[in-house]
Amino acid sequence: MSGTQFGIFSVGDVTPDPTTGRTPTEHERIKAQVEIAKKAEEVGLDVVAVGQHHNPPFVASSPTTTMAYIGAQTERIMLSTSTTLITTTDPVRIAEDYGTLQHLLDGRMDLMLGRGNTGPVYPWFGKDIREGVNLAIENYALLHRLWREDVVNWEGRFRTPLHGFTATPRPLDDVPPFVWHGSIRSPEIAEQAAYYGDGFFHNHIFWPPSHTKQMVDLYRRRYEHYGHGSYDQAIVGLGGQVFMRENSQDAVREFRPYFDNAPVYGHGPSLEEFSRETPLTVGSPEQVIERTLGFLDYVGDYQRQLFLLDHAGLPLKTVLEQLDLLGEKVVPVLREEFAKLRPAHVPDAPTHGNRLAAAIATVPTQTQTEEVLA
Amino acid sequence: MTDIDPSRVVVVTAGLRAPSSTRLLADELADAVVEEFASAGRSAEVRIVEVREHAHAIADALLTGFAAGALAEDQRALAEADAVVVVTPTFSGSYSGLFKSFFDVLELGALDQTPVLLAATGGTERHSLMLEHALRPLFTYLKAVPVPTAIYAATADFGGPGTASLSARVRRGAAELARAVSGSTSRPTRSAVAADSLAFTPFEELLPR
Repeated sequence: MSGTQFGIFSVGDVTPDPTTGRTPTEHERIKAQVEIAKKAEEVGLDVVAVGQHHNPPFVASSPTTTMAYIGAQTERIMLSTSTTLITTTDPVRIAEDYGTLQHLLDGRMDLMLGRGNTGPVYPWFGKDIREGVNLAIENYALLHRLWREDVVNWEGRFRTPLHGFTATPRPLDDVPPFVWHGSIRSPEIAEQAAYYGDGFFHNHIFWPPSHTKQMVDLYRRRYEHYGHGSYDQAIVGLGGQVFMRENSQDAVREFRPYFDNAPVYGHGPSLEEFSRETPLTVGSPEQVIERTLGFLDYVGDYQRQLFLLDHAGLPLKTVLEQLDLLGEKVVPVLREEFAKLRPAHVPDAPTHGNRLAAAIATVPTQTQTEEVLA
Repeated sequence: MTDIDPSRVVVVTAGLRAPSSTRLLADELADAVVEEFASAGRSAEVRIVEVREHAHAIADALLTGFAAGALAEDQRALAEADAVVVVTPTFSGSYSGLFKSFFDVLELGALDQTPVLLAATGGTERHSLMLEHALRPLFTYLKAVPVPTAIYAATADFGGPGTASLSARVRRGAAELARAVSGSTSRPTRSAVAADSLAFTPFEELLPR
């Protein structure tokens, strides 16, 4: 796998197709996620990430179930989340669910933690949205220990205390799953990612890139401050939103009704305004390549690029065509260009393989010898 | 006799017609503020923000969650202002919806500690207490510092017996604003809008206990 991973992420929304008025069933939507992931592997992408939501119109309430099912039908593509709710999900369950998944997938997974911004989800799970940042901080502090300490004694504000608890299974090869922390605007989360030396992901869709630049800059500065590496060695991931056709006018014409009626930004700014103000690119594969290479100008070399292709009621057939374009025309060029620009000291995207190799390399030689002899 | 850096005064005016009596009052207030600042030994640079020009951008910002283009520039100017004057027409007994929406999409904390002169226009003087019952609480919520005098101009105040009284109130309000600016020491950094890089809390302080 190359230095930068390219893939797709989805929130798993059930949205009517505005051109036909037809709403897919939840069953169709869940199955479509699997088709999309298999296609992503087929066209040579590196990562597919699924969401976690607990309210309609989203179907993605159980990410590890979906990931395991996809993982069983794929061989190479990495499974991740966008995002795993660290605020309202018990960190013990996260440790167990993703720990199991890591074994089943032979390490072919990681996860991205997010807070979630749907107010009522918090009380539904017995939490308070005003404690969102504190929940993310405390719950992750526990999750981090559960994956690194065999026996945990723990007491915090938000969950029942633990005494003599061992999260099972233990991480595969004693390498805990890699964690990305996602946030659009909360400096606390960039700080958290930097403190632990984890990855920082900026969703980089629906918002001006100035937010991305500020947050990534803060994360990189603090990553260096905490001694994990230099500013440009911090592990950064970005989102992006594209719609492509060979001919850019065709892309604009076809995507406009979906744009105009989309959840989140629909009925607001025009497609042209939104394309100017946010990273949205609607056009030819060449335009997508050019725009994506431009991301390097404000975040530096980074490790993961995920595109949002699947939302706003786009039919499955269209999404699969988008994946063909992404896999055939866009990603090969991006791989080559990213690799050319990337200095040698910038780390590759984290995988189970390279993290295991790094872990072995840091163990003193004598211990290794003893283990071998024993 | 002026200081080195002129005070930055932003006048937010939310009239919808052109010409508009709200803009008329806003201009009169702007002139009075410049004069009163001069009397207090300060020069003032006035920036007029016509909310009407941002009508579409405000609706977009409500839907997308971020302000773009000229609206974002005016938001930044507000966050950096030393003093603010706001003037709204009275609609259905209160400030106009567009005026409120303009402040709804403003960055949290953008007006923290900013001296503000409140003003409104209306068809008759019957609704003048909207200044105290609607406008003032809004700016208290925004943590701005409204000066004691607030100015209401009914149509009849633009001519006839009320005119002198309106001019006197304009003068008094502008003088209060000038004094409020002189009295305030240093302006805090108000928001991410005005800051070049993000402020943060070190992780050790974020961890409980």
